[in-house]
Amino acid sequence: MRAGQKIIVSEGTTGRGQQPRPGLLDPTDLARLASLDLRARTIVEGAFSGMHRNLHPGTSVEFTEHREYAPGDDVRRIDWKAVGRADRYYVKRFEDETEMHTFLVLDASASMGYRRLGVSKLDYAGYLAGALAYLVGQQGDAAGLLLFDESARSFLPPSTRPGQIREVFRLLEAAQPAGRTDAALALGHLGELTDKRSLIIVMSDLLDSEPDESGDQARGALPERLRQLRARGHDVALFHVLDADEVELPFDDLIFFEGMEPADTRTLLAQATDLAQAFRRESQAFRNRWRGTCLEAGVEYRFARTDAPPAEILRAFLADRQRAVRL
Amino acid sequence: MHFLAPSLLFGLLAAILPWLIHLIGKRRARPVRFAAMQLLLRSERRISARRRLREILLLVARTGVAAALPLIFARPFAERTTDVPVASLDPQSAVIVLDDSASMSRSAGLSTLFARARDRARALLRQFPSDVDLALLLASAGSSPKIGELSPERARVLEALEDIVCSARPADFAGALRSASLILSGSAHAKRRIYLFTDLQAAGWEAGTGLPREGAPEVIIDDVSGGARWENRAVLDVGVVPAPEAGTGGIAVDAELADFSLAGTRGLGVALKVDGVSVAKGFVDLAPGGRGHKRFLHRLTGEGGGAHDLEVEIDRDAFRLDDRRLAHVELSRAMSVLIVNGDPRTARNEDEPFFFAAALRNGLPSAAVTIKLPDDVSPESLESTTMVALLNLAQPSEALAAGLVRFVSAGGGLFISVGDRVDMTLWNGRMAKLLPQPLGLPRTASALPGQHAGEIVDDRPAERLAPIDRSHPLLANFPEHGEGLGSARFFKYMLLDPAPESPERSVILRYESGAPALVEKQVGKGRVMLLSTTVDREWTDLPIRTGFLPLVREAARRLVGATGDDETASLRAGEARSLVFSGDEQRLEVSRPDGSVWVARREQASAAHSILYGETDRLGTYHVRSVGPDGAVVARPEQDFVVNLDTRESNPARLDPADRPDRIAAASPGAKPPKHRVELWHSLAAVMIGLLFLESALTLRRRRV
Repeated sequence: MRAGQKIIVSEGTTGRGQQPRPGLLDPTDLARLASLDLRARTIVEGAFSGMHRNLHPGTSVEFTEHREYAPGDDVRRIDWKAVGRADRYYVKRFEDETEMHTFLVLDASASMGYRRLGVSKLDYAGYLAGALAYLVGQQGDAAGLLLFDESARSFLPPSTRPGQIREVFRLLEAAQPAGRTDAALALGHLGELTDKRSLIIVMSDLLDSEPDESGDQARGALPERLRQLRARGHDVALFHVLDADEVELPFDDLIFFEGMEPADTRTLLAQATDLAQAFRRESQAFRNRWRGTCLEAGVEYRFARTDAPPAEILRAFLADRQRAVRL
Repeated sequence: MHFLAPSLLFGLLAAILPWLIHLIGKRRARPVRFAAMQLLLRSERRISARRRLREILLLVARTGVAAALPLIFARPFAERTTDVPVASLDPQSAVIVLDDSASMSRSAGLSTLFARARDRARALLRQFPSDVDLALLLASAGSSPKIGELSPERARVLEALEDIVCSARPADFAGALRSASLILSGSAHAKRRIYLFTDLQAAGWEAGTGLPREGAPEVIIDDVSGGARWENRAVLDVGVVPAPEAGTGGIAVDAELADFSLAGTRGLGVALKVDGVSVAKGFVDLAPGGRGHKRFLHRLTGEGGGAHDLEVEIDRDAFRLDDRRLAHVELSRAMSVLIVNGDPRTARNEDEPFFFAAALRNGLPSAAVTIKLPDDVSPESLESTTMVALLNLAQPSEALAAGLVRFVSAGGGLFISVGDRVDMTLWNGRMAKLLPQPLGLPRTASALPGQHAGEIVDDRPAERLAPIDRSHPLLANFPEHGEGLGSARFFKYMLLDPAPESPERSVILRYESGAPALVEKQVGKGRVMLLSTTVDREWTDLPIRTGFLPLVREAARRLVGATGDDETASLRAGEARSLVFSGDEQRLEVSRPDGSVWVARREQASAAHSILYGETDRLGTYHVRSVGPDGAVVARPEQDFVVNLDTRESNPARLDPADRPDRIAAASPGAKPPKHRVELWHSLAAVMIGLLFLESALTLRRRRV
C-alpha cells in the first residue's frame, strides 16, 4: 500500500430501492447503447462530471514527463511555466503515475450469466470494466484485461499503445459466460505475469468461492491469493457483483432451482416464499464474510447490484479513493 | 359406525384431491437456473425441518377437511349397548329414586358412587320414550322430593337431577319407596315403575321396603356399586370426659374405632385435633370386623373456659365421611370440683356437701366432684381443680388462703357459703382479697328450726328472695318470675358489710329486705361467689327447692367460665337442633361448616322462645350467634353443635338378596339389551372446524414469510 492511501470497504451501491442521481443511466438503459465504447464513455461522463478522474491519485516526488491537459485533470498539476513557453496546457506526470498498470480481472464463468430482469452480471461487470478502461486510457495509462472462468480464458497485457482500449472493449463485448469459476487460479496466474506494482480490479460474483461457510470471514484459496497480491504491493479492489435475485430471492411460486455452472447437479424444489427470509439472511452473511475478508487483507471491497447504475458505483469508487488519499 | 345416508360417502374420494394438487403442483414447478445455489441450499438446510412439518400438516389438514365434509353429510352415528333396563323402552309412569345417602359419597375410581348413580339416572331419562310421566325422589332420610308429582317434562327432571348433591344423611328406603308408590298410585299409565339407583347397602332397609302388599309398582334396582365389596374403617364415637390427672382443663378423649374388612387393619393412624390443630396422634390395630378404642389425654388451654371443637381423625379410605368424628366440648364438661366440708355431720342429709354435690352431679354429669375436710386440703391440691367450694368453713388457714388467691387469680372458681361455724373476723382478715364483700353479723328471721330438722314443710316466718333480674347471665335461663327460687325461704343469713361500688363486683340475688344473697366478684382471671346463707337446710330451705339445682349448676359454670352443657350438642346428619332465644335477642344466626349462614328471627320462634334448625346435611361444627335489638352480635357457644355421620352408613354390609324388592324385574325374560344411538356428526364438524383453523394458520404464516 502506498503511503497515505487508505483501504476503502464500502457497499458502494445505491441498489434498486434508491433513486439514481440525475444523469446516471441504469444498466437496462445502458444496454440499449450501441457499443461498449459508447457505454463506457457515458458511464464515465455521468460518474465524473465536475470531478477529478484520476485512478492513481497518489503523488511521488519523481517528475518524469509532461502530458497535454485533458478535461478532468487536476488543475493544480498544470505546469504554468510550460504553459508560458508553449502556450499550451501541460500537466506534470510523476513516476508512480507513469509506471502504474491497471489490470481488469473479470469472472466470465457461467454463473455470471444469470439474469432475470435487466442485464447479466457479466454484462454489468463489462460495463464497469469498460468504463474503467476508458478512464485509464484517457489518462494515458496502461490498462490490461484478464477474463477467467476455471482458468485464464483471455489475457491482454497492460499497454499504452493506441488501440489498446479498443481491444479491451472488443474482448469484453465478445465475452460469453461459460465454464466453472476458479478465481484463485486466475489471480495466481496474474501474479506470475506481473512483477510491477499495479492496480488490480477483480469483478466476480464470488459464488462457490468459499469452501468453508462458517465464521466471520471467507476462507479458501481466493482470500489467500488476494492477500498475496497485496503483499506484493499491488493495489487491489474487489467488485462483488450480484443480481438482485441473489440478494432478495423475490420469487413467489413453486420453483425448481438448478445450478448454472457445468457439472453443477445441485437442484432444489421449493416454495420460494418459504425460503426468502432465510435466503436474505444467508446472502447478507455471505457479503459480510467477503467484506470482512477484504478488510483484513487490505483489499477495497465494493458491492455492486446489477440493478444499480454503474456510474453510481464507479463514482463512489473513485470518490472514496480520492478521499482516502486526501486523508 | 353407521350412516343415515351412506351413498354420500362417495364424496370421500375428494380426500385425494389435496394429494393430487400437491403432486401436480410439484410437476408444474417453474424451473429456474440459479447461480446462488450454495446460498439457497444453505437456507433450505436451516428451515427444512420446519418447512416439511408445515407441509405435512397442511396436507393432513386439507385432506381431513375434504374427507370430513362427505362424512358429515352422510350423518354418521354409533350404536352403543346400554345397561339401562329394557323396561325403560315402554310407555309408563316412572319414579326415579336416587340414593343420596352418605355411603354414596364413597369414591369409585375417579368419581363417586353418587356421581355414577346420577350418570346412570341421566342415561335412563334420555332413554325413555317421549310418552313417559316422571317424578324424582331422594332416598336419604328426611329429604324433600325433587319432583314430587308425575310430569311429562323430561327437561325439568333432568335439570332437577343436576341440582342434587349427595347428603350426609342416612338412607330411608322404606320412606322413599312408600312416597314413590303413593305418587304412582295416581298414574294414568298401566305400567308403573320405580327405578332405584343405589349401592344396595343394607343400612336404610331396616324398615322394609315400604311398599304395599297389593298393587305395588314394579321396582327396578340399579346397583351402581357393581356388587363389589368395599372395606371400610370408621370412627364410630367420640366421648370426652374430664381428666383431672392431666391438670387444669384436662380432658380424656375416647374414640371408638371400627374395622369393616376381611383382613383387619394394622397401624391405623388416629389423630386428635383441637380447634383444627392436630395435637396428638397414635396408632391402633384392628381385628377383621372388630372394634378398637383409642384414648387421648389433652389439656385444654384458655383458662376461664370456652368452647372447643375436637376432632378424631383416622387414615383416609374410600369412604371419607366416617374417617373423622367431631365433638363440641366446653370446659365445664371437664370440670373438677373440690368441696371443702367445713361442718361435717354424721347424718348425710344434714351435711352441706350432701345438697351441693347432689346438685352438681345432677346438673353437670361430667363434673368430677371431690369432698374433703379442711385439714386434708393443701394448696398444692388446688392445681388439678377447676372450682373450689368452701361450705361453712370456720377459718381458712393462711396457707390455704394464699393458695386460693393464686388459684382464683389464675382462672379458678371459688364458691363460698356461710353458716354457724364461720369466724367472720378471721375470714375478713385472711380472705379480704377474695371476698366480694366483708362478712357481717348473722341475721335471724325466726327461731332456729334445729329441733325440727328433717321436716319438709316449715311454717315459721322467713324472708324470700326479691324478684330476680334475668339480665344477669347466671339467671338468663331461669323462668321470668324466678320459679323455683322465689318460693325459697331464708330463716337466717349473714349480713354483708358495705363495700365500695366496683365494676368487678355484682349482686346476683337479694333478699326481700335488700340484703345481698349471692354476690360475685372478679379476681384476676377467676371469679368468687359468696352465698350469704347455708347450702343445707339449717338456715334455709333453698336446697330442697327446684331452683337450687339450676342455680348451683349455672353458678359452677360461671365460676369456671363455662358457657353451657348441652347433651344435644352432638347431632347426627339430618337431625334437628332446638335453638333458644334468650333475653331480648332478636335474631339467631347459624354458621354452617361450609361458611353459609342460616338466620332465624324471633317472630318465627315458638312460645318457648325456641326454634328448630333442621338443615344438618353437612358434617362439621355449626356455630350460633345472636343479634340483639341494638344490632350487636354475640357468640352463643353454648348453643353450638356438631353434626356427625349416622354410624349405620359406615357398615358396608349389603342388602340380603332375599330382601330386595326388585325380584319381579329380575325375572323379566330374554329381552335384548337396548341400544343407544350416538350421533357423531357434531364431533366430526368440530374436528373439521379445527382443521380449517389449522390450515388457515399455516397458510397465513407462509404468506407472512
